[in-house]
Amino acid sequence: MANLLWLQGGACSGNTMSFLNAEEPSACDLVTDFGINILWHPSLGMELGDNLQKLLKALTSGEMPLDIFVFEGTVVNAPDGTGEWNRFAGRPMKAWVAELAKVANFTVAIGDCATWGGIPATAPNPSESEGLQFLKRNHGGFLGKDYKSKAGLPVINVPGCPAHPDWITQIVVAVATGRAGDLTLDEFQRPKTFFTSFTQTGCTRNMHFAYKVSATEFGQRKGCLFYDLGCRGPMTHSPCNRILWNRQSSKTRSGMPCLGCTEPEFPFFELMPGTVFKTQTVMGVPKDMPSGVDKAGYIKLTTAAKAASPAWAEEDIFVV
Amino acid sequence: MPSAVQTLDISPVGRVEGDLDVRVDIQDGVVVNAWTQAELFRGFEVILRDKDPQAGLVVTPRACGICGASHLTCAAWALDTAWATTVPRNAILARNLGQIVESLQSLPRHHYGLFMIDYTNKNYAKSKYYEEAVKRWAPFTGTNYEIGVTMSGRPVEIYALLGGQWPHSSYMVPGGVMCAPTLTDVTRAWGILEHFKRNWIESVWLGCTLERYEQIKSYDDFMAWLDERPEHANSDLGLYWRMSLDIGADKYGRGVGKYISWGYLPHEDKYQKPTIEGRNAALIMKSGVYDGHADTHKLMDQKFTREDVLHAWYDEPGGLHPFDRTTKPTRKNTVDMAGKYSWSTAVRHDEDGRLEAGPLSRQLVAGGKHGEAWQHYDPLVLDIYKKLGGASVMLRHFARMHEGLALYRQAEHALREFKLNDPWYIKPTEKDGRGWGATEAIRGALCHWIEVQGGKIKNYQIIAPTTWNVGPRSADGKRGPMEEALIGAPIADPHDPVEVGHVCRSYDSCLVCTVHAHDAKTGEELARFRTA
Repeated sequence: MANLLWLQGGACSGNTMSFLNAEEPSACDLVTDFGINILWHPSLGMELGDNLQKLLKALTSGEMPLDIFVFEGTVVNAPDGTGEWNRFAGRPMKAWVAELAKVANFTVAIGDCATWGGIPATAPNPSESEGLQFLKRNHGGFLGKDYKSKAGLPVINVPGCPAHPDWITQIVVAVATGRAGDLTLDEFQRPKTFFTSFTQTGCTRNMHFAYKVSATEFGQRKGCLFYDLGCRGPMTHSPCNRILWNRQSSKTRSGMPCLGCTEPEFPFFELMPGTVFKTQTVMGVPKDMPSGVDKAGYIKLTTAAKAASPAWAEEDIFVV
Repeated sequence: MPSAVQTLDISPVGRVEGDLDVRVDIQDGVVVNAWTQAELFRGFEVILRDKDPQAGLVVTPRACGICGASHLTCAAWALDTAWATTVPRNAILARNLGQIVESLQSLPRHHYGLFMIDYTNKNYAKSKYYEEAVKRWAPFTGTNYEIGVTMSGRPVEIYALLGGQWPHSSYMVPGGVMCAPTLTDVTRAWGILEHFKRNWIESVWLGCTLERYEQIKSYDDFMAWLDERPEHANSDLGLYWRMSLDIGADKYGRGVGKYISWGYLPHEDKYQKPTIEGRNAALIMKSGVYDGHADTHKLMDQKFTREDVLHAWYDEPGGLHPFDRTTKPTRKNTVDMAGKYSWSTAVRHDEDGRLEAGPLSRQLVAGGKHGEAWQHYDPLVLDIYKKLGGASVMLRHFARMHEGLALYRQAEHALREFKLNDPWYIKPTEKDGRGWGATEAIRGALCHWIEVQGGKIKNYQIIAPTTWNVGPRSADGKRGPMEEALIGAPIADPHDPVEVGHVCRSYDSCLVCTVHAHDAKTGEELARFRTA
């Protein structure tokens, strides 16, 4: 039995909705098969008003153990650091987060908002939002860079906008089954098993990438989305094409450029004019290279690839 | 002699997607006054200012994780009208299908995950249906809870075939869609729909075939259906109806009695050259305002939209049309019930005042004879509304579930009509201008206004269904729809006011679009039952 509390700050509930799409295990399996005791969740909890406040106080006082504290959404600090623009159960949500993080065995940030600040922290960040232990790429965030939960781990970051349900359930199951020690985290505190390979790994458009055959417009069943349509698959860490979405597909397979939503900078270029769904280039060369590739290497590679490109690569080959 | 008025602050009322603070005044066990407070401000309109014209396609689906497809629909059509694009037939169908499957997902998810678990509340232990309700609908362990929550993930698998993932894709873009589905996608989508129908709609929800249910056109037909076979009475719909009557959910939650729908699902042959003015005549599901007091229908037009801020935390003039708003949040958001107390504006129709949004509104509009002769018409819910003497918690939720079955047919229509070798996208020319995009999210009227100037967003405004429903009092002091619907609710146990929850959840508020908790000054006092 592991007690789990899930709260939302500056959130859209997208990670909750994603979580409810889970299978193997499903949200119900977590409760019935893995003994996860969901104390409260904003969308699923039974308790209203007064009873919830009693529960929260039992947790913060240590009267009831909090094994897993899941936070979705940003920590809202506006106005002027008070957090009054996001009040929950009678006080700023940030006050609850500070107290609950202290008593939690494990603290898990679900989704970009809770990890890096996400969309609400986009300039001018009107809600003065930040993630639990990061703001964009800067280590620290609301809890500070030295924060460790009672089990001795920093915040476990499960980014994505939203996070894939399997990324969420597998972390919860790992913790609940005593395998938290096997979790290895990268420099952004993301579980390495999910966030070491690239979004491009397993993409059905990889042959088009290799031959530099571009999808220059939307609505096509051929071509790579990297060269013109702003796809960030080659430099984004996620398993989106290894662990498919909704058991069916991925954005890049279906024809939508990857937005890089598991990385701290999302949304990239602060959505400034000219940056949405358009590859940013300098003299025809992408500003952001596939990870680890330098400019000279890129030019050599793509020149050769283009020259070697077979005729079929320009035809409709049902890559979706 | 009447007893003293007792004030009950409930913070938070969960399970409305984000949290809603409600203050109710109770006299003799009945709610006599109410205030609904949205307490989260994220400032999406502020973030979108000066950004790329297409930034709304990325940002607005993330305003709400439940209705992302609906936001995306609005964002795309708003740009289509601003840029005067041509949208190919296939793309209209692909947008509609995405919107529909998101709504189908929400039916069992909201019904089991959010709404029915209240029927297992111990306050209803005396109901003769209680034992059966607990067996089926108890959270996580109830037999049908588990089926419902698990099945709810299936329809959005179709969304993933179109947009790669649900939630939070941006596959709808001005000029069409990013995808180009293949025959395999279409056949797989059929398989998913059939699975959803066979394993939930027919076997669990209805206890009969969809075709049999579709024969129901009136209240009398419905009651006859209920008695026709034990499978009907014992279906989840049958039990919902019978238990709702038993616990009195038909007796409260009336609301303002006037209703709005923007209409939705543009017809694939009628909206390829989208304009703001041309939308009403192009919709499969017509728009409308239904006045339940006068029993009249008329079309809805965005130009009548006004937002009052006398009781909302914005420092700007009240009564503005969204194109004229500037979204200036009040720095110090102190709760003052006589003054400002919510982040939600009070939306109203310039002629008809406060309107309720949601599936009930859509169904009451669907029963009207206004609009085009070819548009969808369904008299059932309007007939029940009249026979039962108006709206209630029971009818509002029933309307939501009833509509889903018509949506199922529209999903089939989209799959039948895709022409796989025709275009999905026509590249538009970017330009400055004003646009408006609307739809009906599962929980009600949603629309976006955009003004593009100098190649960037000058103004972006969103009015969500919850803005209509949970808005505070308007400038003339009139209560918002949910505030009004709380009046008259009986509270059996003020320490567990499940009835307030029923009313709020019957609106399926998306408070994440505006939301959260509560009265800073009182701290611990907040959720306490106190006598004023």
